[in-house]
Amino acid sequence: MKSIAIIGAGIAGLSAASDLSKKGHKVYLIEKNVEIGGHVAQWDRLFPSQKEAKIVVDELVKNLNNRAEVLANSEVQHCEKKDNKFELILTGNKNLLVDTILVTTGFDTFRAQRKEEYGYGIYENVITSADLEQLFKKHNVVCKTGNPPKRVAFVHCVGSRDEKVGNRHCSKVCCVTAVKQACEIKELYPDCEVYNLYMDLRMFDRHFEDMYHEAQSKYHVNFIRGRLSEAGENKDHQVVLKTEDTLAGKPLKLTVDLLVLMIGMEACHSQKSLNAKLGVRSDTDGFLSTKDIFTQNNFSNTDGVFFAGTCTGPKTIPETFADARAAASLVNAYLMS
Amino acid sequence: MQERLANSFDPFVLPYTIGLVFILTYLFIALIRVVKALPNDDKLKLLKHIFSLKIFKSGWEIFMECLLHRKIWKKNWTLGYMHTAFAFGWFLLIILGHLEVQIYAPHRLNLPWYPIFFRYFMMETQSTMQGAFFFFMMDLTLLYVLSGLGLAIFKRFRRKAFGMKRTTKLRWNDQIAVLALWSIFPLRFLAESFYSEISGGSFLTAGVGSIFHWFYDFTANEIYVRPIWWAYSIALGVFFIMLPWSRFTHILSEPLFIIMRNAGIREEHRNSGYGKVEIYSCSRCGICLDPCQLVSVASLRDSAAINYTRHLRLWKSEKAHQAASTCLMCNRCTQACPVGVDTAALKLNTKHELVNLHTTDQYNYLNTNAGADLQSVPSSVDVIYFAGCMTHLTPATKLAMTKILEASGEQFRFIDEEGSICCGRPVLLAGARKSANELMEKNTELFNQTHAKTLVTSCPICYKFFKENYDLNMRVLHHSQYIQELLKEGEIKVNPTAAKIVFHDPCELGRNSGVYDEPREVLKSVGQLQSTAYDGEESLCCGHSLAAEALPYRKRRVMSEDAVEKLTTNNPDILATACPACKKAFSETNKVEVKDLAEIVAENLV
Repeated sequence: MKSIAIIGAGIAGLSAASDLSKKGHKVYLIEKNVEIGGHVAQWDRLFPSQKEAKIVVDELVKNLNNRAEVLANSEVQHCEKKDNKFELILTGNKNLLVDTILVTTGFDTFRAQRKEEYGYGIYENVITSADLEQLFKKHNVVCKTGNPPKRVAFVHCVGSRDEKVGNRHCSKVCCVTAVKQACEIKELYPDCEVYNLYMDLRMFDRHFEDMYHEAQSKYHVNFIRGRLSEAGENKDHQVVLKTEDTLAGKPLKLTVDLLVLMIGMEACHSQKSLNAKLGVRSDTDGFLSTKDIFTQNNFSNTDGVFFAGTCTGPKTIPETFADARAAASLVNAYLMS
Repeated sequence: MQERLANSFDPFVLPYTIGLVFILTYLFIALIRVVKALPNDDKLKLLKHIFSLKIFKSGWEIFMECLLHRKIWKKNWTLGYMHTAFAFGWFLLIILGHLEVQIYAPHRLNLPWYPIFFRYFMMETQSTMQGAFFFFMMDLTLLYVLSGLGLAIFKRFRRKAFGMKRTTKLRWNDQIAVLALWSIFPLRFLAESFYSEISGGSFLTAGVGSIFHWFYDFTANEIYVRPIWWAYSIALGVFFIMLPWSRFTHILSEPLFIIMRNAGIREEHRNSGYGKVEIYSCSRCGICLDPCQLVSVASLRDSAAINYTRHLRLWKSEKAHQAASTCLMCNRCTQACPVGVDTAALKLNTKHELVNLHTTDQYNYLNTNAGADLQSVPSSVDVIYFAGCMTHLTPATKLAMTKILEASGEQFRFIDEEGSICCGRPVLLAGARKSANELMEKNTELFNQTHAKTLVTSCPICYKFFKENYDLNMRVLHHSQYIQELLKEGEIKVNPTAAKIVFHDPCELGRNSGVYDEPREVLKSVGQLQSTAYDGEESLCCGHSLAAEALPYRKRRVMSEDAVEKLTTNNPDILATACPACKKAFSETNKVEVKDLAEIVAENLV
């Protein structure tokens, strides 16, 4: 029986774990957090179908059917390749000897405090898109005072496509997430005014354009092309935004009750310390470098180490699943050869 | 002492004499051109300076800097000794040579080559043979210069022994000049040694001469060693002719530069004459290379001050523009420069030239209706607080300042709470002098209307500009100074904490405005202030200066990370600064908690 260690029990890790265990391999699923399910488990509903994130994660867990050994709350401390096998030392001095490794370490969300000018952590009514999902889950979308917001603004590209924070890449999912969240706010509070401050809207995938259309026609969400320059706070703890409507060519001042920062994806920080141990490397954007961007997208430069999911760059959930299934079949082929 | 030859001329003096005539003519023409290029009021300043007692101060400075190289001694003793040996040693040789002629052959003073080739034309008589005072002094001085030469050669191989990690590469013109310079003294030494049996010498030349004599008696065949005098003369001639085309132009221009600077002349327009003298005063010693973080951290060697002046000298304006617009204007180079070349001022002119091709009347709207919401009303408050646009991007600082001002009980107005226009310095640093002036005029009008007594700002960039370039009817303080004043007068009180704090001096506040002590006093009252190797004048640039429009963010990031690394070697709890740009730069690195000193004070108010 061949064995495999999957690092990261997000949706990519869970999906690959169930595929590989079904093939009869011994799968160790290593997760640094206590809970499995990664970022998706923290989300309320998912674009484009508004399916509950919890259901997606539950389906994955059900598919896995306890066939894999889940090692939650543990991190890889050390890794060494010995005669075509990998020896892993996990926290708590647990040792594993496996035939192959699948890296599914995913991404970190951008730390919004780094854009101090947007006031996250300074002004009480500035939250991130991830915070908003938590509020949706708790059915408690309100301002700090407990009152429902009368005016909400979403800022796109916070920590993405921003040279100043060292991230040139697009995080792909934030545009459509902002559209989704804007519509959800309008569903909750039809009288609330909702604004989206964007650079350009990247509605690239199936149904996205429909969502954008519906946001305008059905929900009357306002879209303003212009980046937020700075946010301030007035005496009532409302957030005062300074921006420019670049289509109208005019400076704009906007006072909102709630400001939502669409934080982007960054390469997983704890992954970086693993790079040298696994013999893999990060690209200039911080995400892992694949053997070939077209034909060997799941291969690392180390024989026996594979990649799946957002550790090789931002992906939507369907893309992540496709990537995880591809990786699982490649890993299987590797183990059978 | 008597003349050895009836003839006071020998053809070998020609190379030297031609070189001398050339360089004196060049100097005369250059001087006229430089003075002509000065604006009229600068000409007057120069004239006034020359005919005042202050000229003695300039003379003293020329002696201390051009000859003794005092500032280089401060950096490194070996390096100082090397430069002084060449400059002061050679100067002594010239003076002593002329004294010899003055005393022993005064009728030959009109022959410029006589003091230089003294031991060819003159000989000692029996009565003074072996150790005449002047021969001894001349030998001693020559030995001094030769020791400097030895160090210079050694430096080419082991520059670390001279406290330098990097130095300049020699181009062909410099190579010829350096080779000529390096040959002058050994050739003189050889010539005088060979002739010591004929004309006499002292411990050095006579000593070595007697060894030569042991091999062969040259006294009978003087003709065999005559070519050494030729070589010596040619080396001098080549050096003089190469002077204007090499790094050694500074020997001629630096004294003039010192006089002009002391006369109060500044480079305000490109090609004003002063700027030319300044560029030519750069000796390409390379001392500015190590302090420049663009060179040491960001690998942009072409942007170093030394290479910028070179681009200007060679009329490579494209490269000069590139260097100027990647420079962060932290002034670490000017701080280190032994000559005091202020490249920041020169760079502003370079940028000005480029920018003004494209911009016209950008800020016209200030006096129209669009600028109407910038109306400031007179009020009775004594203190006005101007956060500055960069501080609006680090709101934690402005909130901290509001809290402190409120706690002090002082009546104040936050004048740019709702918005403001730029102080103008970033615009000026980008080269748009005219636009900066428009902004300055409007701001001056707004501030003066308030009739306040004190203007407090949180931004060192605004502070420097308000303080130095504005004409305001109030005193201007950076918030670190104002907080220090409040603490001293007991207007606010803070709880001391055990937090280990390192303070980073922002370039604009420290090196460029001279405010070093107040921030430290404030931090000492609220935490455990640790010192670093980069305190005060040695402060690093954070990488986020507004001056470098063409510097890519990735390069800036490398510089910020390097600076944080260097500042946090003692693992402080907080890296404190007093500038929004520095704060942003350091926070980005994610290595240590970064705070403005106002935040630390506000958190610990009693």
